[in-house]
Amino acid sequence: MNTNPPIIELKNLTRRYGALDAVSGLNLTVQPGRCYGFFGRNGAGKTTTIKCLLNLLQPSSGSLRVFGLDPQKHEVEVKSRLAYVPDVVAFYPWMTVNDALEYFASFRKHWNREIEADLLRRFQLDPRKKTTALSKGQKTQLALISAICPEPELLVLDEPTSGLDPIVRREFIETVIGAYQSSDPERRTVFVSTHLISEFEGLIDEFTIIAQGKELLSMEADQARDRFRKIRVRLPEAAPEINLDDALVVRRSGREAEILANGNGDALLEKLRAHQPEQLHVEALSLEEIFVASEALKKAET
Amino acid sequence: MGQYPNFRVIFQIDFKAGKPVYLQLVDQVRYAAASGALQPGDPLPSIRPLAEELRVNRNTIAKAYAELESQGVIETIPGKGCFLKENHSPFSKQVRHRLLITEIDEAVVMAHHLQVDRDKFLALVAERLDHFERKARETGDGK
Repeated sequence: MNTNPPIIELKNLTRRYGALDAVSGLNLTVQPGRCYGFFGRNGAGKTTTIKCLLNLLQPSSGSLRVFGLDPQKHEVEVKSRLAYVPDVVAFYPWMTVNDALEYFASFRKHWNREIEADLLRRFQLDPRKKTTALSKGQKTQLALISAICPEPELLVLDEPTSGLDPIVRREFIETVIGAYQSSDPERRTVFVSTHLISEFEGLIDEFTIIAQGKELLSMEADQARDRFRKIRVRLPEAAPEINLDDALVVRRSGREAEILANGNGDALLEKLRAHQPEQLHVEALSLEEIFVASEALKKAET
Repeated sequence: MGQYPNFRVIFQIDFKAGKPVYLQLVDQVRYAAASGALQPGDPLPSIRPLAEELRVNRNTIAKAYAELESQGVIETIPGKGCFLKENHSPFSKQVRHRLLITEIDEAVVMAHHLQVDRDKFLALVAERLDHFERKARETGDGK
């Protein structure tokens, strides 16, 4: 169906710092037009992976392709087709907002002035203001404008909303959905690393959770919400002990239990229903809850 | 507030419902059509403002609209957008019955587990049919 190369393709990517494998045999594929979430705890290897994509770091082994190209050999082409918003943004202190935008635009073949004016208005950023006088939120907004105006094929976001207030976070995500994805959605791919997962929940098509530099779980978001379910049950007084060993996590308190199902929700429900529960409630896990539950997945594996 | 103020349906998304988000939107449009909140010819919100408002991927909205179109609920007029169609199912009577039976079976199984007996179940069905007809009449009169 799709003859274009994946936007990002990591095969067995490994990056060592001395004796430590920050990223260890990571596989991951991002298809065009997707919004891909990259989740992991601090120190899991997210930023190291992203730095490899941008050729800010070189892999110790394994292969890495962006737009089908090796970022080490085709650094300029790869970088000209993507934009990157890091978690901490800094600008030259002598520049105004307008200077900074002109400076970024000078590196780009294409710069959409309409989007620039639109977003400056939306964020109420004064183009004459010195970048040193901007708040943290405004600096991120300026970085986002400079990432979106070139209308790159790939937008890489590394913890973009951490430390921002909720309104700025909301606007940030709306801007990614609206301004960035508005035209030619097939050629607008987002790769976002974050641990503020709930805010990006609606945006994520597919995700990878990494832990200690290794892939723990990769799935489509809808599939994941179908596979991981939380069952709350209240059993009648006389109910015998039920064997729930095949559940991912079980928390019990007297006659009540909270059970996390990993793909076997229907079977577990059937088992519980056989005991005529007084209450039985099922819900899907949100991506954030799946991320938290993935710790249990890790334990189950070892 | 909303970026689609003329639209009479407020979409609600629940990531914990265990149902894909695009199908939740499909169901809500179908519900609105059945209850008369949406009338044939009414436009649906365009993809971008709705995606921004709900903070979901625009692919999700596009997928929901594509599904509604394949079910014959809405039609796309190029350059104008999506509109609710007259209620003409594209399926044969047999297929329509089969689709409905699947849904009914689910309710029957649910009723069994909730210890709702046959008479109460049938009474509830009649009550819900009345409810939808009443709502559709009220919206129709209000026009």
